[in-house]
Amino acid sequence: MRKFKLFWDFDAEEKYLNDMASKGYILKKYSMFGFYHFELSQPQKLNYKIDYRVFNDREEFENYIALFEDAGWKHVSGTKRSGVQYFLPMNEKAGTDIFSNRASAAMRYKTFYDICMVNFICFVFNLTVILLTTNGNLSNLTFLTPGLWEMTGKDFWSAFFFELPFVILRVLPLIAFAAAGVLYFYWGTKAKKLYNLRISEEKSN
Amino acid sequence: MNLEKHLPLTETTYYILLSLLEAGHGYAVMQRAEELSGGRVRIAAGTMYGAIENLLKQKLITSVPSKDPRRKMYRTTEEGAHVLQMEVQRLKHMIEIYHMIQGDE
Repeated sequence: MRKFKLFWDFDAEEKYLNDMASKGYILKKYSMFGFYHFELSQPQKLNYKIDYRVFNDREEFENYIALFEDAGWKHVSGTKRSGVQYFLPMNEKAGTDIFSNRASAAMRYKTFYDICMVNFICFVFNLTVILLTTNGNLSNLTFLTPGLWEMTGKDFWSAFFFELPFVILRVLPLIAFAAAGVLYFYWGTKAKKLYNLRISEEKSN
Repeated sequence: MNLEKHLPLTETTYYILLSLLEAGHGYAVMQRAEELSGGRVRIAAGTMYGAIENLLKQKLITSVPSKDPRRKMYRTTEEGAHVLQMEVQRLKHMIEIYHMIQGDE
């Protein structure tokens, strides 16, 4: 079964996966952009733990997974670049959590925030580049056939449909970049808020 | 270089630097820290990985060649050992001043 769900709160995501497992849906894989793949099995009580890390090289990613395995945690989903890394305890060595203090658990939100902001800046940059290529004239992105709007009947429609795919190709990236930018900015702000909240909890303790 | 800025050390950092005076991989450090602290300091995997990453960045530990291709080895640097010494001095002073005021030594 495939489910689409977006989380920026890792604690809420862990709870969601545990709830799904208690109904017999076991996480098989998380693929990018909020798609969870579940396998139907026996209802069971599982204790998912999520870390957020992005790795530059394969070797470091392996070293990371080896450390968790040594400590009794099985890496169930996540890739070098996926950020979210899902773990399940595989023996009693694991204990109850992958973090032994609140500050290090809160750091996940900081890392996620940083990555969101880098992505946000990338998309804003891409958007700016596209807009600059239009020389400040947005109509350069729409229909360019000379005299299109003066045409009538069959001439108009054939010219219109001939150019439509090109217009879509020109406009779509723009909309996609803008949407991705807004989304990352939104996620980033949410993550930052949670980070500040967790850190202030830490201080008042 | 100003090493004062690293002080005071968290208990986790203190035991990691102490454990890595002798080279070891991440899990070995978790075990040594637990052993050295008499079972009191149990560093979990995620916390351990984050701490190693930070200490590498601060150059208080360094990566050393490892025979196991999957597990990296680390060792406390000279700076790291120095920070550890400074921390011990700081703690020593705190204890001495306590005994002086309490007058039980």
